[in-house]
Amino acid sequence: MKLTAKRKEQARTAYLFIGFPLILFLVFTFFPIIFAFYISFYDWNLLIPDKPFVGLANYFELFQDRVFLISIKNTLVYTIGVVPIQTLLALVLAFIMNQKLRGRAFFRLAFYIPAVTSSVVTSIIFVWIYSKPGLLNYLLSLIGVEGTDYLTNPGTALFAIMALNIWTTSGYFMISFLAGLQSIPQTLYEAAKIDGANQWQQFWKITVPMVRPVTYFVVVLGLIGCFQVFDQIYVMSSGGPVNSTTTMSYFTYNNSFKFFRLGYGAASAVVLAFIIFGATAMQKKYFPSEAY
Amino acid sequence: MKNGQNFLAFIILAFVLVASCSPPGSDTMRLSSWVSSPSETELYKQTLANFRDQNPDTDFKYEPIPGNYSEKLQLMLGTRTAPDLFYLKGMTAPSYMSFGILNPLDELIAQTPDFDVDDFYPFALEAFQLDGVQYGLPKDFNPYVLFYNKKLFREAGIDTIPTNWKEFEQMCTQLTKDLDSDGKSDQFGFIVEPSVEMVMPFVYQNNGHFQNPDGSLGITDEPFIEALEFYYGLYQKGIATIGQDQGVTWNGDAFGREISAMAISGGWLMPFMKDNYPDVDYGVAPLPAGKRRATVAFTTAYSMPKSTKFEGEAWQLLDFLVGKEGMSSWTNTGVAMPTRRSVAEENGFHEHPIYKVFMESAEFASPFQVQYSERGFEEVVVAFQAIFFTDKPPRKAMEDIESQIKKYRLVGSKNN
Amino acid sequence: MKKIKLQKLLFYGVLLLMTFIYIGPFLFSLSISFNAEQDVFSWPIKLIPDEWTLDNYQRVWRDLPFGQWLFNSIAITIVQTITNVFFASLAGFAFARLEFPGKNIIFAVLLGSLMIPGIILLVPKFIILNEFYLINTYAGLMLPGLVTVVNIFLMKQFFETIPKDLEEAALIDGCSYFRIFWQIFLPVSKPALAAVAIYTFQGSWNEFMWPVIVTTTRDMFTLPVGMAFLKNEFSVQWPLLMAGTILISLPTLAIFLFFQKYFVQGVASAGLKG
Repeated sequence: MKLTAKRKEQARTAYLFIGFPLILFLVFTFFPIIFAFYISFYDWNLLIPDKPFVGLANYFELFQDRVFLISIKNTLVYTIGVVPIQTLLALVLAFIMNQKLRGRAFFRLAFYIPAVTSSVVTSIIFVWIYSKPGLLNYLLSLIGVEGTDYLTNPGTALFAIMALNIWTTSGYFMISFLAGLQSIPQTLYEAAKIDGANQWQQFWKITVPMVRPVTYFVVVLGLIGCFQVFDQIYVMSSGGPVNSTTTMSYFTYNNSFKFFRLGYGAASAVVLAFIIFGATAMQKKYFPSEAY
Repeated sequence: MKNGQNFLAFIILAFVLVASCSPPGSDTMRLSSWVSSPSETELYKQTLANFRDQNPDTDFKYEPIPGNYSEKLQLMLGTRTAPDLFYLKGMTAPSYMSFGILNPLDELIAQTPDFDVDDFYPFALEAFQLDGVQYGLPKDFNPYVLFYNKKLFREAGIDTIPTNWKEFEQMCTQLTKDLDSDGKSDQFGFIVEPSVEMVMPFVYQNNGHFQNPDGSLGITDEPFIEALEFYYGLYQKGIATIGQDQGVTWNGDAFGREISAMAISGGWLMPFMKDNYPDVDYGVAPLPAGKRRATVAFTTAYSMPKSTKFEGEAWQLLDFLVGKEGMSSWTNTGVAMPTRRSVAEENGFHEHPIYKVFMESAEFASPFQVQYSERGFEEVVVAFQAIFFTDKPPRKAMEDIESQIKKYRLVGSKNN
Repeated sequence: MKKIKLQKLLFYGVLLLMTFIYIGPFLFSLSISFNAEQDVFSWPIKLIPDEWTLDNYQRVWRDLPFGQWLFNSIAITIVQTITNVFFASLAGFAFARLEFPGKNIIFAVLLGSLMIPGIILLVPKFIILNEFYLINTYAGLMLPGLVTVVNIFLMKQFFETIPKDLEEAALIDGCSYFRIFWQIFLPVSKPALAAVAIYTFQGSWNEFMWPVIVTTTRDMFTLPVGMAFLKNEFSVQWPLLMAGTILISLPTLAIFLFFQKYFVQGVASAGLKG
């Protein structure tokens, strides 16, 4: 009797404790998911009170929309280009930071600064760096190379933004790897040294396999982040030139809040969500984490 | 337990208080415009101050909208946070009018006996009418004219101004120079911009249209393509430059820095030059003619949202701003031309050496208004970028987007 | 011996070059922000200004609504940081220490929601807030980010490492769960709370996509949104822009410098257990 009363009190307390977050998630996460599908079946324009049901028409239109198809391509190029490089770079940086070296705290801070800075700030700085009379071309001119205007050249704009992304996030993921590295027993390395393995061999034979769970986590986060890249595109190129930097999330934004076709925008977001699910599922299948 | 509940309640209450303390002020009327050059803003504030002096009882808040004006305004209209009086671009007016979100002004005009609506130039009024209803009142207009740098003209030994395409191209060639002899030109005859508005004057001069009078799309018709090829050709031949190559953001800046000897712009370039490049000696001329004389004119109106709670106050302000006095004070520096005949005549716009060029251009100017949604414009801009940045042939670029753009034709008034 | 020295030299050389790549852009933007000339695009560019000035910083304050944006950013960041620390630890405590029906299911569903890409929520969230007339209000800016699942998860993980006997004595004494949470758990959880706070602070301060959609008038902008608009408006005035970017970056940088330890812990624990 006493026990159940106590149980009841415990449950009541627990619900009170989690109540507020739960309501918030219901309103701003779980309901919106269902609502997103609902909206995507309508021709939903905020300026027009009449919102007709159009069935799958938005989806059919999406796959005939050249810009949407380009945006899928751009997003894939972006992700496939950024994720492996930033992951490897983060691991290398973490490996270096894990060595005994002078001024480690300083170097760690230096690599981490881009990651804690607002994406708008880094984007603005890089707009200047990438412009025709900017820093990058100045440095290139010192070695006698004449560069272009990287953000208005359709051949380079996407890659320029990808480079910026790698620059900002590699320091962030370095910290994740650093924690993983510190949990590797030193004895492994010592044994390897006795066997005469050099630093590179140690890196590939011990470090890389041992941090596999962290790698899994970093790759998943990297995938989700890259698939949804928005801030840099918005600030630096607005999707141009010639749609060469229109990514899927920018496409969603543009159609929803610029052309005001919220139903169409929601449909493109639904497609993007499925692509992200597919990518992470594929990763799970072909590159399983051994942490579980 | 009690303790905990009280604390929780306190936190939630505190949050609610903080969150609700200041929704944006909906207790006074709001006026919005886009942001232009500092001197233009100064002038506008002066005009508003005059209104305040005369109407101390009508309170309002001026909130300029920076950045992408049309996009933000649209968002505001859709979220019921729109200002009670705002600038409406003639170019976007058809879509806004078709959405039925603007307040009809006819009754207000009729109730104000000395408003004198017939004083407006008809072309400016008509840009803001749909099915005979007036949704905006034009505050000013601005045709594209040719700005030329007198010093650079003299240096190149040119003592006339171009009157047709052939002369224009010839002078561009003469004005393009490699001043530091490094094998690359650093002074150009002209500066181009991959935008629809900039190409349209040449299209009109070539008897072409974006949207033909019969409503069909004109962008793959011969006159349009020819004009586009001529415009792009100037850049391709290296006798015109483009903003991106010079690290400038707009044509006026390149003109001010004397990177380009000629530029096409509206009157807004004049206050910009005065603020930033006061020493550059320039002249203004009508655009060179093609098969006929033509240019594009922009008109801007004041409109109110249907949802406004301050109709009376907003009208009072609108009446002042487009009234004879307000328009005189706004247009007297030449930033834009008056849309009232009486204002233009009384202030000598037809006699003024520079303003008269604008007034004359108005005689053969066409407004740029088409029945396509923003997405349609976006497609054209992208196609233009492909031409200028990737050397895509103009004809191919236009043919590729033709069918896509047809989909963005506005279907007219959807409600009532 | 000589070979090792050379290797070391090479190693430090590469390290310094990397460091330069990572912080160089900030140093240059700092240098531009003190440049007295507005025209920094004269070629070849000057990395060090000829004439130094603080004028650009003054202009940011005087000519722009920087103060208002700063206020908005601070208000949102502080409210979200406090609510996140409080509600995430409270909920984390419930999930770690209390038994109640549906606990596992609820927690699994919450964790699952981490897999949902934020972009799909954008349009529906916007429409919902618009229905409640919350677009362009502080409530609209703050509400969706008051608590995040990641923070609840972090706190739960941390509380589970606290030994049970700590609270058992208190329970026997008849203490309420809230008192146990408040007086026993919170005081020993400072590192985790700090990690959550710093995380949230950085996230809210830098958030861009949501405020850009939910604010429509200039007086409601946050600093990043304001700067993005300035980029369009004053894009020829680099010294001014750079002064603004430096000012925005200072708070997160300062917090990172002071609380580096917690920051690294937070990222690390999220990384290992996620």
